[in-house]
Amino acid sequence: MNVRTRSLPLLYLLFAAITAVVLFPIAINVMTAFKTPGDLMSSSPLSLPKQWSFGNLKTAFEKGNMLVGFRNTGILVFVSVFLNTILGAMTAYVLNRFNFRLKKLVMGMFIVAMVVPFYTTEVARFQIIKGLGLYDSLGAPLLIYAGTDLLQIFIFLQFIEKISAQLDESAMIDGASYVGIFTRIIFPLLLPASATLGIIKAVDIMNDMYIPYLYMPSKSLHTLSTSLMTFVGQRASSFEQLSAAILIVLIPTLLLYLFLQRYVFSGITAGAVKE
Amino acid sequence: MQKRLVVVSFLFIPVALLLLFLLYPSLRLLQFSLTDWNGMSKSFNYVGFDNYVEAFRNPDVWKALSNNFLYFGIHAAFIPLEVMLAVFLNNKMRASRFFRSIVFMPYILNGVAVAYLFSFLYNPINGPINALLEAVGLESWIRNWLSDKSIVNYSLVVVSLWRFSGLHVVLFLAGLQSIPNDLYEAATIDGAGPLKKFVHITLPGISRVMEIVLFLNVRGALQVFDIPFLMTQGGPGLASTTFTVYTIQTAFKYNNYGLASSLAVILMLMIIVFSYLQGRLFKGKGESS
Repeated sequence: MNVRTRSLPLLYLLFAAITAVVLFPIAINVMTAFKTPGDLMSSSPLSLPKQWSFGNLKTAFEKGNMLVGFRNTGILVFVSVFLNTILGAMTAYVLNRFNFRLKKLVMGMFIVAMVVPFYTTEVARFQIIKGLGLYDSLGAPLLIYAGTDLLQIFIFLQFIEKISAQLDESAMIDGASYVGIFTRIIFPLLLPASATLGIIKAVDIMNDMYIPYLYMPSKSLHTLSTSLMTFVGQRASSFEQLSAAILIVLIPTLLLYLFLQRYVFSGITAGAVKE
Repeated sequence: MQKRLVVVSFLFIPVALLLLFLLYPSLRLLQFSLTDWNGMSKSFNYVGFDNYVEAFRNPDVWKALSNNFLYFGIHAAFIPLEVMLAVFLNNKMRASRFFRSIVFMPYILNGVAVAYLFSFLYNPINGPINALLEAVGLESWIRNWLSDKSIVNYSLVVVSLWRFSGLHVVLFLAGLQSIPNDLYEAATIDGAGPLKKFVHITLPGISRVMEIVLFLNVRGALQVFDIPFLMTQGGPGLASTTFTVYTIQTAFKYNNYGLASSLAVILMLMIIVFSYLQGRLFKGKGESS
């Protein structure tokens, strides 16, 4: 299918307009973050800063508790993605390579979990987290994020199916145990899938707001999202500082997107299109 | 015997987490929904289906739900445009990869940051959007974007579109790229025009992705939460509340866990019913064509 060359300029115009719509909010944010309060008051919000000042970024970083936010978000991302990947791969391995009586039930439970609503479930989960003594600790989001889901299992299953069962058998003859087969053959071969799934999971965790907000109210446990929420609550009208805090929170995923875009795209589309 | 041990030990933690944090809470919701529990006291009374009756009679619940439908409807109306953009991007136009990156970027950004960023853009006093309207001579379009009851929902839907449309485009694009090129070549030899090719090759080729996007839209629109929660708290009044915002506030702000649980159960049922209906509708269409 070729678009006729005549309509091409129109097409570029369309995409240029979309690019403008996407970049306008971000450009405004960057410009505002570098303005002094006086500059912001006296000039149009659309204008460039008269002089680029880093004062807001410094204030937002220090007063906004951002260092703590980076640390906690970092811990949550690394530990949860690590656990989640291993658990997901283990589940898919067992579901693909073994036949057992409750297999359908296990699959069924993961399917049911797909329709459990995101936020409203917290009404009941809150009591469970409290009952387990996990309230106001990193443990609460860690365990919630670590759990595997249907989509992840499906994608791992797609990859495991392509790993020949003969590999398992010959390892078996050489005396490897099932655990050995998983750790030395299956899991290493799943690493490309793990990378794409891990990136998507990492983005989800970095951008999650409600679970850390609900389960980790202590200031020392704030993530990037909840640090920003607190900072905004404190200085609702100081837009140059707000913009600086927003910019700080935007940077991690922007960088990740810039450098690992290929994995982001394959992770997003992995479940949607059969290989 | 070793097999059994492996199955049990490998599945134990994943299944335990699933049961503990997703399935058991859902059952608890069912239980709470039949009680008058306030979330704190040690005891509660079973009140039958009173909470469900109240949920249906409460006009605020219906107001919230109608707002959800606004998100659903507008997002659904954008799907043809998203498919079109994906088709263009798939045509190997120059800079196609660059545009793909741009279009998808909002989805990857932190939702809290995006919500507050738009709060600033919509600011009525010296806000960038009003300044932009002024700059292009559209002063008459200037509004109080977030405090005018008749506009606030549309303002919030725009944020949702900005964030999520790119995801749909990228999913459609992946669907298009999975269609083998020889199908188009064979159709060209058979003398099919662009429209015929679109209807008979492209649309069936992306039907799987279409189903996923529609499911994501139902699930997303019925559960809109962070944008109104962060930008307006559902206000002014209840003008921009959504089903999920209302449920969360009923539980954690007004301590009515019974009613909130019944709302959560209703939400779960709606997700199931709407996904099923949409799937049926879509499948039916696919077969008749």
